[in-house]
Amino acid sequence: MPRLTIDGRPVEVKEGATILEAAGLLGITIPRFCHHPALPPAGSCRMCVVEIEGSPKLATSCSTPAAEGMKVSTSSPAVKAARRDVLEFLLLNHPLDCPICDQAGECSLQDYYMEHSCAKSRFPAELKEPRQKRRLIGPHLVLDNERCVLCTRCVRFCDEVTRTSELFVSGRSDASFIDIREGKALDNGYSLNLADICPVGALTSREFRFRQRAWFLEKTPVTCLGCATGCRAEAHHAGGEIYRMVPAPGAENAWLCDRGRLTYRPLRAGDRLKKGFIKNGYIDLEPAVREAAARLAGEPGAAVLGSPWLSVEDNAALAALARALGTGNYCFSFTAESGIKDGILVNKDPAPNTAGAAEAAPTGGLDLGELNRRIAAGEIKALITEARAAAFIKGRLPDGFKLIVFATNRSEIPAGAYATLPYASYFETPGTFVNYQGRRGVTGPVVPPPEGVPPLAETAAALAAALKGDGA
Amino acid sequence: MISVRKVNNRPLNFLERIYLVEIARGLAVTARHFFANLLGRRSLTVPYPERRIPAAGNSASRTRHRLKARPDGSPRCVACFLCQTACPARCIAIEAAEYPGNPVEKYPASFSVDLSRCVMCGMCVEACPEDAIAMDTGELPGGAASRQELRLDKEDLLRRVPGETPARGAANRLAEGPGGER
Repeated sequence: MPRLTIDGRPVEVKEGATILEAAGLLGITIPRFCHHPALPPAGSCRMCVVEIEGSPKLATSCSTPAAEGMKVSTSSPAVKAARRDVLEFLLLNHPLDCPICDQAGECSLQDYYMEHSCAKSRFPAELKEPRQKRRLIGPHLVLDNERCVLCTRCVRFCDEVTRTSELFVSGRSDASFIDIREGKALDNGYSLNLADICPVGALTSREFRFRQRAWFLEKTPVTCLGCATGCRAEAHHAGGEIYRMVPAPGAENAWLCDRGRLTYRPLRAGDRLKKGFIKNGYIDLEPAVREAAARLAGEPGAAVLGSPWLSVEDNAALAALARALGTGNYCFSFTAESGIKDGILVNKDPAPNTAGAAEAAPTGGLDLGELNRRIAAGEIKALITEARAAAFIKGRLPDGFKLIVFATNRSEIPAGAYATLPYASYFETPGTFVNYQGRRGVTGPVVPPPEGVPPLAETAAALAAALKGDGA
Repeated sequence: MISVRKVNNRPLNFLERIYLVEIARGLAVTARHFFANLLGRRSLTVPYPERRIPAAGNSASRTRHRLKARPDGSPRCVACFLCQTACPARCIAIEAAEYPGNPVEKYPASFSVDLSRCVMCGMCVEACPEDAIAMDTGELPGGAASRQELRLDKEDLLRRVPGETPARGAANRLAEGPGGER
């Protein structure tokens, strides 16, 4: 356990910890470009240099392990001069792009310049070396080599995290630049993380590009509903619209997969359901609920199927609906193989709440096989469920079968659905989800739902009330 | 330098204190203007907003906004949102879009100034890094029949004023010159 002093303050750190980490314990933030806590150290940007007593040269604090008795200074004149000079070199050919750069407002280079340099450029803007701008390097990313500071975080991410090695540093010395390997596209399922870890605007997201400025964004913690892993994420939104999802700061998941990051997309799609949908036409929610209630009440064999895509609360509301129907035909137990599929984050189980759905009906109920058998045998004539869970019903639906689903978007409605009821997604209404390890995560609300679209539990309660009205 | 002027606040005399004489003097001024306007000899008022008194020629006052244009007519604005950020009245609304070929990349698909909310503070002009917005048209906004008329869109704002010379902003250099064809 080495003990050292940083800026005159003593600190004790774990064996192998770097000076930069030790300074972090004291609340001293050393500026850095290439250092990322989840990536191996590179020591290439020289921004984090510190002065160590007795050492002839400044040392990179991100790659120098803390040693017993070290006396470190993070703000000596030599260190300040070194930072200023590093920034001057980085800014020599850096384009004057801040007004059009998406990173502006959350850019390390901007922040460090204001904090550590503020020097006027000695290099005329006309002499700046042009480089390739706006290169599409994958389905999600744009590369701007002019803005790059060659910290190689992206290269190390592709080498160490996804192990796909699409990116590399091409050329030598001042002619080096980030390039993509011949014949490859940056589409490894985690590529949008590069837009986050890039300290400048060299790698920007095509989804987020030019849509909103960073300083307008509000941040709300959410649980990612892309799969059963249930990563902790943060939704960035402004004016009732979600613009991007990033991993929550301090979460155990340092990354977030591309699919999870884009789970807010159905909200922006033009086919969002704001009314009920029966056969082929829109209908107001209230008559749609009455129609659905009439279909369920009219059938002796009505069934309720929960959904692993719905929250614990909404599954409980569906279970209450099954009780109101007085039917034994309900199913909330789903079995899915779970576990991390790719060694990073993506789960084998694509549904976020397989474990939580079972809580709605701990005893009784059918299993999926029995439910399918009864549908095929014609014992069940009407069924209410959520759109994605309707895929659990195997085979062709019998003639006259009434399938009633809850859906957020029109494209979600399964073939053969008789009636569709809208519901507020989990970006618009709170929900509890249980991930594959049994960890409960609460998510939402981030933005308000479209006008007149209640949460699923509310509509299910209205359905149950309408059923009671029919019975009386 | 602050100039100081001493004001002699002498107490009112008896005639002034009873006000009657002063009221009559005030009414005389009003009546003189009334009859002058009525007889059309020396009119002091104009039927605003149909007719307006032009602003003083070289006045540095802040007047209606305009968006400056590049020589090719495209707006110099790159939709950086700094004016919208600086605006205390929140009267500026921008939507950014991307040029497919132009290396400047970003432009405002829509840019509107709601003059009914604008407080004419000039912060947008101060904030602009591209020198793209100016408040030098000499037109004083106001006197509209509907709120909609006071909402200026991109085309309204790009209307040129006589004698304007196009100039180059920092990022606009990319659009022109030798570095432009990349």
